[in-house]
Amino acid sequence: MKDAGSVLVVGAGIAGIQASLDLAGRGVKVYLVEKEPIIGGRVAQLDCSSCTIEYPIDCSICALNNKVLECLNNPNIKLFTLSEVEEVSGSAGNFEVTITRKPRYVDEDKCVGCGVCAQICPVKVPNEFDLGLGTRKAVYLPSPQVLPRTFTIDRENCLYFKNGTCRECEKICQAGAIDYNQRPEKVDLNVGAIVVATGFSLFDPSAIKEYGYKRYKNVITALEFERLARASGPTKGKLVRPSDLKLPSKVAFIQCVGSRSLKTGSGFCSSVCCMYATKEAKLAKERNPNAEVYVFYIDLRVFEKGFQEYFNRAKKEFDLNYIRGRPGEIREDPETKNLTIWYEDTMQRKVMQLNVDLVVLCTAIIPRPDNEKLAKIMDLELDRYGFFKNPEGQTTVDTTRPGIFVCGCCQGPQNIVDSVSQASATAAKSAETLALNIHGGK
Amino acid sequence: MNGGVNVAAEPKIVAFLCNWCSYAGADLAGMSRINYPPNIRPIRLMCSGRVNPSFILEAFERGADGVLVSGCHPGDCHYISGNLKAEKRVKTTKRLLELLGVNPERLRLEWVSASEGERFAEIVQSFTDNLRQMGPSSIKSEESEKPAVKSALWDYIKKTNVQYCIDCGKCSSVCPIARINMDYSPRRTVERFLLGFEEKVLTSKELWMCSACYLCRERCPQDVRFPEFIRACRTEASRMGIETACAHGGVLLSISRLMTNPNLEQNRLGWLPEGAEIAKNGEVLYFTGCLPHFDAVFEDIGFEGQKIAQSAVQILNKAGIKPVIMKDEKCCGHDLLWSGDVENFEKLAKANVEAIKKTKASKVVTTCSECYRTLKVDYAEALGDLDFEVMHMSEFMSELISKNKIKPKKKLDVKVTYQDPCRLGRHMGVYDEPRNIITSISGVELLEMERNREAARCCGVSSWVNCNKYAKDMQIERLREAKSTGAEYLITACPKCQIHFKCVMNEKLPVKPEEVSMKVSDLTVLLAQAMDLT
Repeated sequence: MKDAGSVLVVGAGIAGIQASLDLAGRGVKVYLVEKEPIIGGRVAQLDCSSCTIEYPIDCSICALNNKVLECLNNPNIKLFTLSEVEEVSGSAGNFEVTITRKPRYVDEDKCVGCGVCAQICPVKVPNEFDLGLGTRKAVYLPSPQVLPRTFTIDRENCLYFKNGTCRECEKICQAGAIDYNQRPEKVDLNVGAIVVATGFSLFDPSAIKEYGYKRYKNVITALEFERLARASGPTKGKLVRPSDLKLPSKVAFIQCVGSRSLKTGSGFCSSVCCMYATKEAKLAKERNPNAEVYVFYIDLRVFEKGFQEYFNRAKKEFDLNYIRGRPGEIREDPETKNLTIWYEDTMQRKVMQLNVDLVVLCTAIIPRPDNEKLAKIMDLELDRYGFFKNPEGQTTVDTTRPGIFVCGCCQGPQNIVDSVSQASATAAKSAETLALNIHGGK
Repeated sequence: MNGGVNVAAEPKIVAFLCNWCSYAGADLAGMSRINYPPNIRPIRLMCSGRVNPSFILEAFERGADGVLVSGCHPGDCHYISGNLKAEKRVKTTKRLLELLGVNPERLRLEWVSASEGERFAEIVQSFTDNLRQMGPSSIKSEESEKPAVKSALWDYIKKTNVQYCIDCGKCSSVCPIARINMDYSPRRTVERFLLGFEEKVLTSKELWMCSACYLCRERCPQDVRFPEFIRACRTEASRMGIETACAHGGVLLSISRLMTNPNLEQNRLGWLPEGAEIAKNGEVLYFTGCLPHFDAVFEDIGFEGQKIAQSAVQILNKAGIKPVIMKDEKCCGHDLLWSGDVENFEKLAKANVEAIKKTKASKVVTTCSECYRTLKVDYAEALGDLDFEVMHMSEFMSELISKNKIKPKKKLDVKVTYQDPCRLGRHMGVYDEPRNIITSISGVELLEMERNREAARCCGVSSWVNCNKYAKDMQIERLREAKSTGAEYLITACPKCQIHFKCVMNEKLPVKPEEVSMKVSDLTVLLAQAMDLT
């Protein structure tokens, strides 16, 4: 039976969720496929933006959770976590899709999210969701506030899968949700349109050796900073520097790490860093009002409505120091683990050095490396950077294959608001595709 | 001239005469109506101590057949010891002339006092007679037509990516010179150029400060090739007739230029160690570079150039290789290229490539990192693909060790640190091989400096154009870093690094000598010691 009244959405970040909600609201059946055990994507990792600007949307804490809850409760949305698209055939209005679901080893219908399994689990490993800053168990929920609140067993580290021992979680789970016998399964779907919303990767700054990331303890990335600042993060919201877990009193942010760089990284502007660095700089000052906060930038790209005012206010009210110049070298004092930054203040035309406690690298948004694989499966083209390509003369949500649409950062670097707007556009475009096919538009 | 003696040509003599004795002596000869040949062109100086070897070489370069340096008798110098300095310099210059295959008798040093008019006349007479017998000098530089049209500067500059500069200042923040000299900034130089103040850039002092250490190029996110940009600007500046003051009076650049002369018959193999086996044709060629010439100039600071060359040949022999060493090898031209003299660089490149071709060598090995880069990159850029492979001695030795062809058997018991030469490291990416060699010697402990490999700091000077107080500061900083590792020896793989570090240690320093003084040696020499060859 041909089911043309349905859409596949790949990726359950803020963009994928918005597209799904828009479509479900129209009565369309949505299959939402997510690779991770939870949904919410990158935005779920971020700290409060303290209602940055008068915006139609807020940040993760206020807005995302509402959307995620809506998404989980909507009868028109069928969520597949731990799942990936394997095959796509057919054409606009009638796509045959195969997805693979990886086993969670926890029954989604039975798990109530009480967490006793994780309490008893003896295995501790670095938590990817906290970028390795904190730890988790082998049966885990990546972070307390995430959804769906269903635990997952990580096969790589679980003692039962390693040597057949332990089984403590199985013994303690009152709901009887632990199921070591789950197998990967294939699901075939028939959809009329597809929305790709797979998000982005972040540039690995250890490629820029002179900044000492991974070599110097107190050089961290902006996403790590977000995790440290967030109340549900590894430090329970205590903003500390990694070497001695003390509140930093001199913090420097470095912009364009891996972006606007033809040699190491990507040539394009990452487009969101000037704003989030301002937000984070403000945050560092809020947490420690005596702190000195510096932001190294090349050009300030605070270009949307309200952005410049936000920046001006932050600079004035929080006494942030903006220095025009990209640092060339960071050196660590081996004893104090403090850092010396060498830079040219290009406004004053002076080469100078600055001593700080903590350096935050604002790393570039880059295409996901697995875009290529997905593009092959879906027969889509990528642009020269590796993002999904928009055909010439069409909108930024069109792809090179009719019936498949793209939104969010897998199309190019953009902020949350723009991602969500694009998501709504893909919903409209998908609905159009469905309508044309149902009502004999052929 | 084709080597034949032109009897009709009268020898030309340039005479550098001191104001107080020799010029007065010549004057007395004239006033006393004493006859002497009209072949001399006197140049009056306040003291014979003012004569730099480069003056003498330039006189020969411009067509002199003989040069006379004359001052007060020892003990009579009006500046106490200027004449003794002249004596030393003339000795150095005679060594250089000998290496170039010029009869050192063409250069004469004579003491003439103000009352010795007769003696002056006799000297000129006998010198002229001698020179007539020797015939005309063959090392006059060839006159070359300077191209009338402005060079294709912009074409070249586009290849250096300066137009991609986004003005971020990363270059300046790492530039070792900009950290000391507030007036210097690679970013600003590019900015000025792009804003249309080309002439300001070409005529500025800053144009000559860059040592092309490649740190900015290594760090630049936009891949701007600043050192090459500076090179292009220097080329243009040279064509505009803008000159810079070179270290050592430019004597080393004069030697390079003199070597462009095709009639030159050099005499440069005197350094070969006893029992060394070399060949005229063969697979492996050892490119000596300017080591013998540097020895003549830098003997007083304890530079040991010949030892490097000797060690190289001994190591190669030990591995069963009879290297080709060319009698007519010329300077590689690195310093000319980077100081803006592309024409003479290309002449040298052509001559060397042709000479190498004749030996049928398929591998050219150098102990100098500058020769290595120049032959491998710049020759190929100027003349197209080469028929031979260029290797640095460190690469070659490392290969010999890994193939068990040579064995450093002797235990040395010494702590060393390693200076990555800019040309070998950042220019060419050779970081591991020198370290492999050092760590293959038993008893040698390698202590790395904080800034090593890609982040290594420069020895301060390149192409003799930027030796100044900033360079000295850089050298002191680097030596302190080396010293703080606890090493006794600073090992490098470029003779220039060795010269510059040894030079600064011989100067009056603003720091305590024990903070910076350490032994400096070459990687090839170290390995030869470990193989018990020296």
